[in-house]
Amino acid sequence: MQSRLHAHNGVVGEGVKFERIRRVTGYLVGTLDRFNNAKRAEVNDRVKHMHV
Amino acid sequence: MIRFIMKRDGRKVAFNEQKISNAIRKALISVHPDDEITVADEKIVLKLTSMVVADIEKELPKTPSVERTQDLIEQAMIKSGLASEAKNFILYRQRRTNARTYNADLTKIYRDLTSKSTADMDLKRENANIDANAPMGLMLRFGSEGAKDYVKRYVLRPEHALAHARGDIHIHDLDFYLLTINCCQIGLKDLFKRGFSTGHGFLREPQSIQSAAALCCIAIQSNQNDMHGGQSIPMFEYDLAPYVAKSYIKHVGKVMEICLRREQMDISSLKSFCNELYEVKGTLLDKEAQQKIQEFVEQELVQLGSNDAKADASYVMMESLKLTQRETYQAMEALIHNLNSMQSRAGAQVPFSSINYGTGTTAEQRMIMRNVLLATDAGLGGGETPIFPVQIFKVKDGINTKAGDPNYDLFRLACKVSAKRLFPNFSFLDAPFNIKYYKEGHPETEVALMGCRTRVVSNDFDKTKEIIPGRGNLSFTSVNLPRLGIEAHGSLSRFYTSVDRTFAMVFEQLKDRFDIIAKKRVLNYPFLMGQGIWIGSDKLDPEDYIEDIIKHGTMSVGFIGLAECLKALVGKHHGESSEANELGLEIVRHMRELTDRHTQETGLNFSLFSTPAEGLSGRFVKIDQQLYGKLTGVTDRAYYTNSFHVPVYYDISAADKIKIEGPYHELCNAGSISYVELDGDLTKNVDAFEKVILYMKQCGVGYGSVNHPVDRCPVCNYVGVINDVCPRCGRRDGEGISIERLRRLGVDCSCFD
Repeated sequence: MQSRLHAHNGVVGEGVKFERIRRVTGYLVGTLDRFNNAKRAEVNDRVKHMHV
Repeated sequence: MIRFIMKRDGRKVAFNEQKISNAIRKALISVHPDDEITVADEKIVLKLTSMVVADIEKELPKTPSVERTQDLIEQAMIKSGLASEAKNFILYRQRRTNARTYNADLTKIYRDLTSKSTADMDLKRENANIDANAPMGLMLRFGSEGAKDYVKRYVLRPEHALAHARGDIHIHDLDFYLLTINCCQIGLKDLFKRGFSTGHGFLREPQSIQSAAALCCIAIQSNQNDMHGGQSIPMFEYDLAPYVAKSYIKHVGKVMEICLRREQMDISSLKSFCNELYEVKGTLLDKEAQQKIQEFVEQELVQLGSNDAKADASYVMMESLKLTQRETYQAMEALIHNLNSMQSRAGAQVPFSSINYGTGTTAEQRMIMRNVLLATDAGLGGGETPIFPVQIFKVKDGINTKAGDPNYDLFRLACKVSAKRLFPNFSFLDAPFNIKYYKEGHPETEVALMGCRTRVVSNDFDKTKEIIPGRGNLSFTSVNLPRLGIEAHGSLSRFYTSVDRTFAMVFEQLKDRFDIIAKKRVLNYPFLMGQGIWIGSDKLDPEDYIEDIIKHGTMSVGFIGLAECLKALVGKHHGESSEANELGLEIVRHMRELTDRHTQETGLNFSLFSTPAEGLSGRFVKIDQQLYGKLTGVTDRAYYTNSFHVPVYYDISAADKIKIEGPYHELCNAGSISYVELDGDLTKNVDAFEKVILYMKQCGVGYGSVNHPVDRCPVCNYVGVINDVCPRCGRRDGEGISIERLRRLGVDCSCFD
């Protein structure tokens, strides 16, 4: 996780990714980058259970 | 005619049939090592050798390899019904492979760890909460990989090592095999009363909610350093409430000083009055207690020379309550910040922490819960969603499930916060398998959860200690259910036979592991045992063995991929067909019977676990793809479905998913969780959210939660659902934005360099 952002020529955020917090098998993780390959695949495959 | 054979290093050498005969002969002798080889044996040697040679010839002109030849020997033995001979041969091969690859495997792992980035190396992302890019995280991986290698080669029985390597089973946390046990539910009450030591210096009983919350974090951190799994506080509001009262007394004294323009006033009489009151009533903040305190304060003020004691007293009451409220919020805020930033394990990760709450009804307990929820809602310093602690709200009829219940407001707040922050999760104390342990007025009997799902409550070793605090899971091993399903080739009896066999092996392996740890002493666990956290450890001396007290813990057999297993067995998973669901329940019930029976036989606590499968989600299926190819619905994805879950890719309503998964919760006594995936917008609807949670309760779910996307833009701090474009600043992923524009949008830009 990046904690300090630097501005370049009055522009900020270049290369800064959105944080996407997800829970796949158990614990929350602050960014998808740290998930192993299998869990990333699982996140991609998910469908929502929209009808309650 | 076979002329050559390819050695492992790639050299071609002359083929020698004699070598095949020798290998077979050795395998035959291995089942009766004390006797000479018999004439009958020699006949078998001849027969098998010619079988193998014939098999190799079928594959000509391809030059046979040593490995392939050994595979054929194995097959020939199995075909001829020589099961134990074949087993010994397989183990012999495994031992030889071990000796041959000693160093090579580990050296390669070490080389990759240092040269490859996290993005390129799955192993470095095995545990998503450890940053293997950072030096201490990497150091931990070095130690971990070395320890695993050692345990696999020299500690496990060869058949267990083989079963693990082949992916029949997965022995979790192998790196800690020789060192420690999994996790613990920490009771803070006695620990705080006694005061404790974390190594250097003694910490006295906390005197305010702020220091109690800080010490709670230290207890979690210290205990995590003695164990390999997560730490949980099962009675969060109960354990911390006395310190809200202590803070309150302090504030009353302080505000009295201010009213009287005095310093260093002696408040010992106020203290003893309030302490006695708390002793009797268990609260200082309800109406009746407040009345009494107000009268006392008024009398004191008169004696101390207040001009308007009545007005001063009511000011004191109002102001000290406000201060206590504020301090409690700050304490909870600090707790959450601490648990997301403090380090354990040589700085490699924050402790895996959980807190359980929901049923305490005193004003102090409610103040703690309300404020921990509000602090979670507010998020961390930059508005980030807290990753830790895992929060579990205990849902209980008569306490918090409907309007008019004393904590219904907190349940509603919990729903609202969870809809924004993913926590709290919800546990259901009224589920039959939880309520049977519940004794009103004894929160230590309220089932709590650890980390992502572990549950420890029943106790066959000591029925009088069926309580939560001081106990935990010792270790667990998971079974590859889909493989057993595939290997059964449609025969249920064959399937159940292999389940029984696999469970028997896992029981043996768990007991081996237990025996290793049983020989450790109290002094090996300076906090967990040395400070009396683990049940019974407070009565032991540093040199004592821990064998007897760890019998209060559980050993669990986990499983993964019920859905894929059912697909392999009957072509449908339990979300698709009710027959498949019946079979699924039958299978899981069967597995539970196995752990129950083993518990009765041994007097030790064996339980059935719906494995979280953090690193395991992809491991089994990768091996199975190599063995069986991509079987539709079984091995054709990068992961096996978690435990008994309906597959994440399957389109099903939230209600149906909950209804199907509910009954499985009762069977998995080592813990399980159900999730439903909801849209980010639906979760803004607290009523709908509440309905989902209460429907889980109705369907027999023990522990559940709602997943929904929570995104954050680190530039403008927007928290919510971000598709491609941030709704607040309009930035795309990785895109830059001018500070000027951000200022116009009202974003605080003071933190940009």
